[in-house]
Amino acid sequence: MIIPKKLSWWQGGILMAIIVIFTFSSFGADRPLGCSTSVPYISSHLFNLEEYEYAQKSVNSGAWQVVLLLGALLGGLLTSVFITKSFGFKLIPSLWKERKGNSVIERFIWSFIGGFLIVFGARLAGGCTSGHFLSGLPQLAVSGIIFGLFMMIGLFITGYFFYKKDK
Amino acid sequence: MFDMFSEIVQVFETQNHGSILTVFTIGIFFGVVIQWSRVDTFEKIAGFSMLKDFTMIKLIFLATGIITIALYLMVQFGIASYSPKPIIIGGLIIGAIVFGIGMSIFGKCPGTGTISLGEGRIDVLIGVIGGLVGGAVYTIFFTDIKAILGDNFGKVQLMDYFPAEYTSYIVFIFGGLLIFLSFVIPNRELHYDKE
Repeated sequence: MIIPKKLSWWQGGILMAIIVIFTFSSFGADRPLGCSTSVPYISSHLFNLEEYEYAQKSVNSGAWQVVLLLGALLGGLLTSVFITKSFGFKLIPSLWKERKGNSVIERFIWSFIGGFLIVFGARLAGGCTSGHFLSGLPQLAVSGIIFGLFMMIGLFITGYFFYKKDK
Repeated sequence: MFDMFSEIVQVFETQNHGSILTVFTIGIFFGVVIQWSRVDTFEKIAGFSMLKDFTMIKLIFLATGIITIALYLMVQFGIASYSPKPIIIGGLIIGAIVFGIGMSIFGKCPGTGTISLGEGRIDVLIGVIGGLVGGAVYTIFFTDIKAILGDNFGKVQLMDYFPAEYTSYIVFIFGGLLIFLSFVIPNRELHYDKE
């Protein structure tokens, strides 16, 4: 049997559904799948902020998500080495080069800012693509629908203005 | 960091949300599917914000549509439960916009960023460091930030707006609509050989 190097959107969608359904079920974890609480949780240990109110609030979800993401890290590593063969220490994504040029420093600075914003934004909103979108929509959570709509606004405005072709 | 891991073990012992091994295994599959579908790449995520690549949104809509229906049935059978997040309106709107801006610039979200890190991307490592700083800043200033989070309108689900006898219809229509959307959104995709 030949293993395809890439899954199509519907193959990925069906497999993703199975994973989240299992996570929700009492046979799996009996809870929604989330990712972004893990980041402030790790931060609070890294920078010795355990005494802060928010650090204490993020312990339960954060600890659960750290384990999930350690698994995801390994899953990503194994798949990129053995299946997609995309593993490699790359500095700048191709599409970024095409739109924003070849400066590594510039990409790093924007990566830092982007990484800061997704975590800060996700914490303000109380969830990210996983918690609000992937797990929120299937619960018909109004918070997930609102998050999805305003996330799209942020995405498309940035996609239009930040990545304009003619500089 | 060592005390973090002992704390994690403790949390898993006191909570009933799967064993460490179960959750770690879920994580592995999560990473495999996302990586294998290539939706962790900058091209698919930032490309979506430029309306050049719809793979990610088609995948998410199909998955959420299927989960909507399956989850409802599981709740009926008593083998899963709903735990929707509250609508804390100010934080939700501002946070979602900030999140969208960051996601377009970085080309990752927290989950896909971690998976892409496993792929060896150095710019993602820098973004993860940015995220850890973001997490620390949020933690430190949380007491001040609370003021802009705004009113809490509760953990509302769509069916709460309708009489109880309509619930199953609403679930099936909503789930069906998501699946329908996943198919009607055009199959637009950027192709980069090495990504």
